[in-house]
Amino acid sequence: MNKQTKPLRHVLGQSQAAALLLLPFMSVYLLFLVYPFFRGVWISLHDWNLLAVAFNPDAKEFVGVSNYIKVMWGKNIIWSPLASPVLQLMGLGGAITSALLHRSGRLGRTTALAIGIGAIVFFILPGFHPGEGGRWYDRRFWPTVGNTLVFVGLTVPGVTLSALVLAVSLNRETRAMSVLRTLFFLSQVLSVTVVTLIWQIMFSPRQGLIANVTELFGGSPIVWLTDERFAMAAIVITTIWWSLGIAMILFLAGLQDISRDLYEAGALDHATGVRAFWYITLPNLKRTITLVIVLQIILHFQVFGQSHLMTNGGPNDTTQVLVRYIYQTGFRDSDLGRASAMAVFLFVIMGAFSVLQFVLGREED
Amino acid sequence: MLKGRYYWLVFALSIPAFIWLVPTIWMVSLSFQPNDLLARTTSSTALGLVPLPFTAANYAALFQYGQTPLWFLNSVIVSLGMTLGVLLVSTTAGYALARLDFPYKAPLTVLILVGLMVPEQAVFIPLYTMFADFGWHNSYHALMLPRMAVPIGVFLMMSFFKAIPSDIEEAARLEGVGWLQIFWYVMLPLARPAMMTLAILTFLYAWNDYLWPLVSAQQREFFTITLGLASIQSNFAQSEGLGRVMASGVIASLPVVLLFLIFQRYVVQAMTVGGSKG
Repeated sequence: MNKQTKPLRHVLGQSQAAALLLLPFMSVYLLFLVYPFFRGVWISLHDWNLLAVAFNPDAKEFVGVSNYIKVMWGKNIIWSPLASPVLQLMGLGGAITSALLHRSGRLGRTTALAIGIGAIVFFILPGFHPGEGGRWYDRRFWPTVGNTLVFVGLTVPGVTLSALVLAVSLNRETRAMSVLRTLFFLSQVLSVTVVTLIWQIMFSPRQGLIANVTELFGGSPIVWLTDERFAMAAIVITTIWWSLGIAMILFLAGLQDISRDLYEAGALDHATGVRAFWYITLPNLKRTITLVIVLQIILHFQVFGQSHLMTNGGPNDTTQVLVRYIYQTGFRDSDLGRASAMAVFLFVIMGAFSVLQFVLGREED
Repeated sequence: MLKGRYYWLVFALSIPAFIWLVPTIWMVSLSFQPNDLLARTTSSTALGLVPLPFTAANYAALFQYGQTPLWFLNSVIVSLGMTLGVLLVSTTAGYALARLDFPYKAPLTVLILVGLMVPEQAVFIPLYTMFADFGWHNSYHALMLPRMAVPIGVFLMMSFFKAIPSDIEEAARLEGVGWLQIFWYVMLPLARPAMMTLAILTFLYAWNDYLWPLVSAQQREFFTITLGLASIQSNFAQSEGLGRVMASGVIASLPVVLLFLIFQRYVVQAMTVGGSKG
């Protein structure tokens, strides 16, 4: 080996070797991620019809931020502090609570700041509403964002709580426990189309397993997927079933890092069982819990398949979510400009959470 | 911990574990039941969880008519191609960023790090128009290329290579071995576990991806099995028969479930990395 390689060493310096090794990735990265990202922003500034531009590349027109206005704004929109009191009071309450918790030292600065900013956004955004004679230019956009938030708001606590309970119970190195962990994780590797196929039929009022069980006990079956009251619950249940595994595994990894000594010391103070969980496990798992929650928010905010395949966004738009609305605006209505403006909106929200995730990850070191 | 309490815990956890498994068992069981029976009832034996009366006709039909075998083949080609591509670009770039010194290294690393923030959903429209301009849609490379640009693999390999002690490299340098040779003969063999993790992460992603194939592959001949399954489930009961659709679902899940059961440790690791870094 030595004899063949010696000449090459003189040919390739360190920088040249690095350039050569970086070339494949950098070319696909610039071409298929960086460039498309900026092109997406550029499309969002145009009146861009998918079909018209496909036939004639000049059929687009620069319109500035008009797509953003058409999506997010309306005629005669005003702001008042209590337009939707529940959400706004929740936001205000959240901001105050995080400030107080930070003051009393129970919340780190980053976390407090993140929750505070989120809460203030919650206070400000729902305050906008059409005034007299006004209307939103796009009546469906904000309700769609709202549905996405409801989906995230139900799925994330559902997944986090059940995964946490499971992880704590399954945190033993025995064969039975490892089999149980495998069973809970299995559904995680299935594709979204398999998951929705299974659950669509599970929820079916005529053929579904859930309906069959209900009838066994003499109840009348629920029309899950076409009833406005249950459709969102149905896709939330499906998603919890599907994505519990990752959260459980991340919690198990976090639990491994808690020293056995803490529990032994705790046992001397009679902290066992639930008390040990409350006073030892939870405080030491705080960072993992935060990380899991942020990850879940990023993941589930991008929900698409469950809504697209199980309910078609219905009934009456109650399960319409942001990514599905982007997809429909772009590929059914061919309005790529407006769809791209919404995609940029999605990116901004995801980006904020990615930064938060990055900062939280950094705090660990 | 008392023995008795432990067994109670195992027993108590077995119940939710079984309930968790029920939907999957039900899919497999329905796929082995005759279609004319399923048209009447889905709960013939033990709520339909036991496939009696039993038939394998759904699977036979799957391989005789319909495009499921073709879609399956497409998924294999796309997933393997994407996995190889991601391994190639990630190991090379990851090694360069972790072990080599070159101008503008820090800003370049940041530029790549920032890419982790961009979700697929935020770039699929411009990617669609780009690939349309190139005339690339309905092809294997159109399905493979976008994922190769996602920097998660680079970061996985970079953090792995960073953890290798530098004396191995220095010894080789003193021997007069070139950088590329060190990469190929010394580093890559060491990186096998990390490459395995990355390969599994990518394969799972490729096999299960739905949004990009949905916009890129419009001709049924280029559907992946994930996309094909979505296209037949919307009118499942009428056209194909419930049993056959469920058989397609089982076939579509078989590779990833086997992969999971055989390489469980790597899969869990891969999904943890994939989950925690985007």
